[in-house]
Amino acid sequence: MHKRAIGAAAVTGIAALLMSACGGSTTVAAKPSTTEAAVPAAASTKAPVRDAAADLVIWADVDRTPIIQKYADEFGKENGIKVVVQVATDVRPQFKDATKVGKGPDVIVGAHDWLGELVQNNTVSPVNLAAADAAKFAPQAIAATKFNGQSYGVPYAVENIALVRNTALAPTAPTKMSDLVSQGQALVKSGKATNILLQEVSKTGNAFYTYPYLAAFAGGGIFATKANGDYDASKVIVNSVGSVKGATELAALGKSKALSTNVDSTNADALFDAGKVPFYFTGPWSIDKAKKANIKYAISPLPSLAGGGKMQPFLGVQMFYVSAKAKNAAFAQEFVTKYVPREDVQMSLFAAGHRPPALTSAYVKATTADPDVKAWFDAGKGGQAMPNIPAMNSVWGPLGQASADVIAGKALPQARFDAAQKEIAANIAKG
Amino acid sequence: MSLKKFQGTPEVQHPDSPDNPDRPGDRVVRSKGEPGGRRRSSAASPLWLVVTKWLLIGTVLVVLAFVVQKLIEQGSWVGVVIAAFVAMCVLAVYGTRHAVPLKYLLPGLLLLVALQIWPIAYTVGTSFTNLGDGHLISKQESIDSIIANSVREVPNAPRYLLSVAVKDGADPATGEAFYLLTEPSGKPLLGDKAGLADLPAASVEKAGNGRITKAAGYQILTAIQVNARKDLNEFAVPTAEGAGIKRVGLAEAFQGKANVSYDKASDTLLDSATRKTYIPRKASWVPKDGQGDTFPQGWKENVGFKNFSNVLTNETLRSGFLKIFAWNMVFAVVSVLSTFVLGMLLALLLNDARLRGRALYRSMLILPYALPIFVTALVWSSMFNQDYGLINKLLHLNIDWLGDPWAAKAAILITNLWLGFPYMFIVCTGALQSIPGDVLEAAKIDGASALRTMRSVIIPLLLVAVGPLLIASFAFNFNNFGLIFLMTGGGPFQDSNFSVGSSDLLITYAYRLAFSGVSPNYGLAATVSLFIFFIVGLMSYEGFRRTKSLEEVN
Repeated sequence: MHKRAIGAAAVTGIAALLMSACGGSTTVAAKPSTTEAAVPAAASTKAPVRDAAADLVIWADVDRTPIIQKYADEFGKENGIKVVVQVATDVRPQFKDATKVGKGPDVIVGAHDWLGELVQNNTVSPVNLAAADAAKFAPQAIAATKFNGQSYGVPYAVENIALVRNTALAPTAPTKMSDLVSQGQALVKSGKATNILLQEVSKTGNAFYTYPYLAAFAGGGIFATKANGDYDASKVIVNSVGSVKGATELAALGKSKALSTNVDSTNADALFDAGKVPFYFTGPWSIDKAKKANIKYAISPLPSLAGGGKMQPFLGVQMFYVSAKAKNAAFAQEFVTKYVPREDVQMSLFAAGHRPPALTSAYVKATTADPDVKAWFDAGKGGQAMPNIPAMNSVWGPLGQASADVIAGKALPQARFDAAQKEIAANIAKG
Repeated sequence: MSLKKFQGTPEVQHPDSPDNPDRPGDRVVRSKGEPGGRRRSSAASPLWLVVTKWLLIGTVLVVLAFVVQKLIEQGSWVGVVIAAFVAMCVLAVYGTRHAVPLKYLLPGLLLLVALQIWPIAYTVGTSFTNLGDGHLISKQESIDSIIANSVREVPNAPRYLLSVAVKDGADPATGEAFYLLTEPSGKPLLGDKAGLADLPAASVEKAGNGRITKAAGYQILTAIQVNARKDLNEFAVPTAEGAGIKRVGLAEAFQGKANVSYDKASDTLLDSATRKTYIPRKASWVPKDGQGDTFPQGWKENVGFKNFSNVLTNETLRSGFLKIFAWNMVFAVVSVLSTFVLGMLLALLLNDARLRGRALYRSMLILPYALPIFVTALVWSSMFNQDYGLINKLLHLNIDWLGDPWAAKAAILITNLWLGFPYMFIVCTGALQSIPGDVLEAAKIDGASALRTMRSVIIPLLLVAVGPLLIASFAFNFNNFGLIFLMTGGGPFQDSNFSVGSSDLLITYAYRLAFSGVSPNYGLAATVSLFIFFIVGLMSYEGFRRTKSLEEVN
């Protein structure tokens, strides 16, 4: 009771603050990964209770649990142990809280951008994949599993946003933003479409979808990178010349009504699935619904911006972590380093959610099974992994709001992004 | 604390229990020590009641015994002591005839301690620390974790196939560990805590992949035995230059080297790869020369009054405070008043006996109260959408409800009215039914109009009952984090300033302040919530004082 009481009291103590600290940070920071988890979360948000009788405990989201269970059973049989895969509705905070009181799982499945926080709190341990095995993965996926040069897990999928279009309205894919806008405007004018383009913006903005605009221009982005490829938290480049060019593009799109702060996560999918919008910047998480709505769609890379290059999406990598407090570290390491890199495991995980596999051979197989996979992958080419450094926590809010203000025409790009830069730098300095 | 013992107590204790001076009647019927005394005493309280009572006590004790067992498994002795104390309290209060007031108060007292006093104490405790992401662990753990995470595979070193073994006859769980390794070339090696040695190829048997399955003089551990040995997580076979052969999973080993080492004498960390020294500063390891990154693993420590001085001197907090405090007051007051007025009017309406189907209306009106705020707030927020929302569409408006500072405030108040009126409706319905009929009749006889009766009789009587609840509702709304967070997130934000939002309450504002840094800072959050606690406490105290005077009027 004592340890639990501390946990429970901690929650009630700073009641709303703590509760929403978990919820808040994940909905913003882990955007691509939580989109799918949002639905089952409504059913039950209770954290799973670690099965005390099990020799290896894995926590995953509801979609991946049955698949992992299949291989967990195989692993259990091979080693004569009981392996349990449990559904965690919100893996990140539940793992953190449970690990703190010694009730956490041995392995978790989640997004790579949690890594900074997990390392900070010493909740994950390094995973030493042999160099030969690591070489079988897409290099950007392996890079995403690293923090300060140390590798902390094994990836199984890479996902990113792309241009999804309704082929009934837009048979050909525009490669330039100006073409996209003019095609869309013509459709809106003729009454065939209600919107030119959909992109989650919302009143408070969404930095995840803002980044591709900034990164389309040389020197634009959020953080500069160090010589070893890591993001440098001390060099924020939100108001660099390149970034401000991206912001100017956002303002122009807001002005031409291609982007609107009234489109947000609650209505974007529904609007696209109504069949009256030609273009949608989104990720694989929107596809299942579009299919159900009988929308004929096609996926292509994000368009290029005038005066810059192609819009560069963030890559989100899904991976297996091993807990630093794992009660069964040997089994956990064995499962993650020997089972997850298997082609059949990666292919099975691909079946749930159709995210392009991180293992190259599995990816190649997946492209023949589903042509979308290649399209998503091509759209992500050249993209950088979403920062997994803790400093990213200070970016989501201010950068999102800056982009929303610019799109709404409430502020001028240069001045607004200067202010955001200042605010982000001050937040990071706060530590 | 065995269960048997407790169940045994009633038989022995009850007949011997001393006479209760509060119940002289008992003394007459009961004769001490007589076997029949028990039956006769139960004549005062029937047998089924006694049985039920002891069943209930027994159940509580069984539950506590179960909890204690779990606690012992976890090794939480403080918890065991607390659980045992609670068990004794239950037994002493309900098992005897003493402490009659406590019989009523004990459950409440226990819940008060668990749900009110403990969290407050915990919050106060937290406010003096730097607790937050990156500062959750102890200093020693941060050192261990930094060193463990600095292990890098030695470049171009081979990977070995591994079998963990102990000497023949040694205990697999505790015996000294030996690593039987196979090089990629197929050469078998023996590693122990002293170093690497050759293993005669003739003495081993190998599996198809080259892994050693048998070695003369050694007993190879099974996967379960390897996993059970926690000492192997730290074990390394030393090789050249501080590197070591470490285990990966069950059957593989690599040669790795920890780049960081800790020097206890100077309390510094040294990174041998970058030749940088790290010193402890502000509960983190920072580079001594000020160049480069701090290690992400900091530790938790007491910071004294730093959080308090931080709150009082914080520039953003001070600049936004008055504006936010004013809106916070308006929000809480208007929310309480509007929900109360609407709830009361509906209650009055449905209190009229001439209305048919009242039960149906009443249950329908309670519905919004039954829905979770997470759902309602999100639904309302999408109904307020400027382009796609129901409200603008129905009313043919084009108001930017959630993007305009004033409209956002109105939208929040409207939503809160919807969320809050059922509560007031329930409360007022109850209070109205308790107003005695003769008072209303007297007013009627005196010739008071309906409005006059309402103003001079019903409302004053209603307020006596409802007044304290209004204050509670005020305190709740003052900190209505969920609604603001789900509706607007504190926005819209004006003047390129993301720290002060137009619809921010103190609590949402404090949330952003504490959690907008690189790492959520629970210590600072706890401090701010203490300040808010005092503000709400003071205002509620003043409110309760006034309702007292209200009672005196009547």
